[in-house]
Amino acid sequence: MAEPVSLEYKIEGNDYMVAGAASNNIKNTLKMLGIESDVCRRAAVVTYEAEMNLVIHAGGGILKALISEDKIELCTVDEGPGIPDIGKAMTEGYTTASDHAREMGFGAGMGLPNIKRNSDVFEIESTPGVGTQLKSTILFQK
Amino acid sequence: MINSIKITKEACEGCVNCIRDCPTEAIRVVDGQISIIPELCIDCGECLRSCGRKALGIYEDDWNRIKESTRATIIADPVFFAQFSHYAQPGQLEEVLKSLEINVMIDEAEDAFDLSAYATAQLLNRAPKETLPLISVYCPSVLRLIQFRFPELLSRVIPLHTPLELMADLWKMRTNSDIPLTLLAPCPAKITMIRDPQGRKKSPIDYAVTLRRVARSIMAAGNLSVENGEAPKIKKRNNRWITWARRAGESRHVQAYSEKKLTILAVSGMRNTLDLLQELELGRLRGVDFVECRVCDTGCVGGIGTAESRFLANLRLNNIEADWEITPRELARAEDLYSMDFWSITSEYQPRPRMPLSDNVADAMLKLQQMKEVYAGLPHIDCGACGRPSCQAMAEEIVRGHGSITDCIFKLREGIASLANRIVFLSESQPHTSKRKDQ
Repeated sequence: MAEPVSLEYKIEGNDYMVAGAASNNIKNTLKMLGIESDVCRRAAVVTYEAEMNLVIHAGGGILKALISEDKIELCTVDEGPGIPDIGKAMTEGYTTASDHAREMGFGAGMGLPNIKRNSDVFEIESTPGVGTQLKSTILFQK
Repeated sequence: MINSIKITKEACEGCVNCIRDCPTEAIRVVDGQISIIPELCIDCGECLRSCGRKALGIYEDDWNRIKESTRATIIADPVFFAQFSHYAQPGQLEEVLKSLEINVMIDEAEDAFDLSAYATAQLLNRAPKETLPLISVYCPSVLRLIQFRFPELLSRVIPLHTPLELMADLWKMRTNSDIPLTLLAPCPAKITMIRDPQGRKKSPIDYAVTLRRVARSIMAAGNLSVENGEAPKIKKRNNRWITWARRAGESRHVQAYSEKKLTILAVSGMRNTLDLLQELELGRLRGVDFVECRVCDTGCVGGIGTAESRFLANLRLNNIEADWEITPRELARAEDLYSMDFWSITSEYQPRPRMPLSDNVADAMLKLQQMKEVYAGLPHIDCGACGRPSCQAMAEEIVRGHGSITDCIFKLREGIASLANRIVFLSESQPHTSKRKDQ
């Protein structure tokens, strides 16, 4: 087994202009490894939504990608307000985004459901007042 | 892989303007001269805009020869009709071309563009909601960009021959003639469309020249319509197809044929096209039915193979009256053509992904690690002096085995500095015979 490739991005809170850069970078990296294009697209969507969650809700955080021969694991860690009711947050259309975020076309309440839909394994842990940790795994071959 | 950018090696002085302006990072300078990586080139022509030395041009067929042939028949891009200050109305230009014994297709153009708009509207009205938005196929650079960078979007590209090709198909069906057809193209991308067609095996069009060349030769002849004395009888035209020369013209035409109100995004310019396609790939454009992208600013009138300023050409289009009332007769004709089904593509659009670092994932990962290490040692200022568009591209090429680290002038300087230090060190060490205590 080759050593996993690790990529790390620091995402700033409320910085809507650069959001999407990490997603693009991860997609390009996967393409250079010759990973199937549907997997690249799913990884790009998961990364983008996770990135947006950090920007909109968490006041920034860290996004890490660990690419192995058979899968990519995407993790975010933040010290934001946390999610009191994860079940509710996973409902399509449920949002706590600010008016500002929604005016810019973000925060439609599709983020977490979208991440889950595009992941093969999805884990989320959150403590109100402490922060949220999210982990999404996408397998290269099923 | 074919592209239609022509390099004149003698004129290239090895400046790096083009390699930095290329949106797909397709250009390199090797041994002081530019070369294009054909798989990466989408024929957008951005490099031509940045070359001040005319080292870059457009590959085209010989207009002088075509012009001399009997009954030269041309397919003019809509942009052609916005190039002349003398001939503000398309009908006038049609008369002038006739007087020069050049046969230009107009009836077929009206039919083909109507058919294209009608077929697109039909596809949009019938498509399941989750497959929307669909993407226009009119700009060949956009199709290439999708094939190479956004292959997941290929299923959204309208599976329709472009109206310029359909004009030729219609003409061949109607005349049953084998007179060669010549496209007057506003850009290298549409020339490549003839030489390397997508969605079909062979193009129905035989030659392609830039419309700049043809427009200039007509301009050189002076104002021909005035010399005729009285104004010739100009045939009434609907001119809808001419509006495709600029951004949103196609969209308006499609809407005119659509039963329901469509939500359409029409953008022009490379930056806008890239951003839009990326947003689309991330699933951010819900509720949009149709996307029209043109890589040239303001649309096809901004093509690099045109003769007239894109700003003036765009103004002129304001003065060309298009008739947006579709008559029952026109609708029936579009339906007829639609039912003939010669308009849909005969082979699928193929993705053209970038070659991975290795066929084997484990090996590719190893190379990716090496690439990260090489990149970490580079200056990250993307100066282009190594002949590559960025430090990232340089790191990639070194790992792929093309190039050496000393291609980077900063690494070269570091090497020289450490060599110089070594020389100083060596010069201070003396042979034993000269080491005398009394000295």
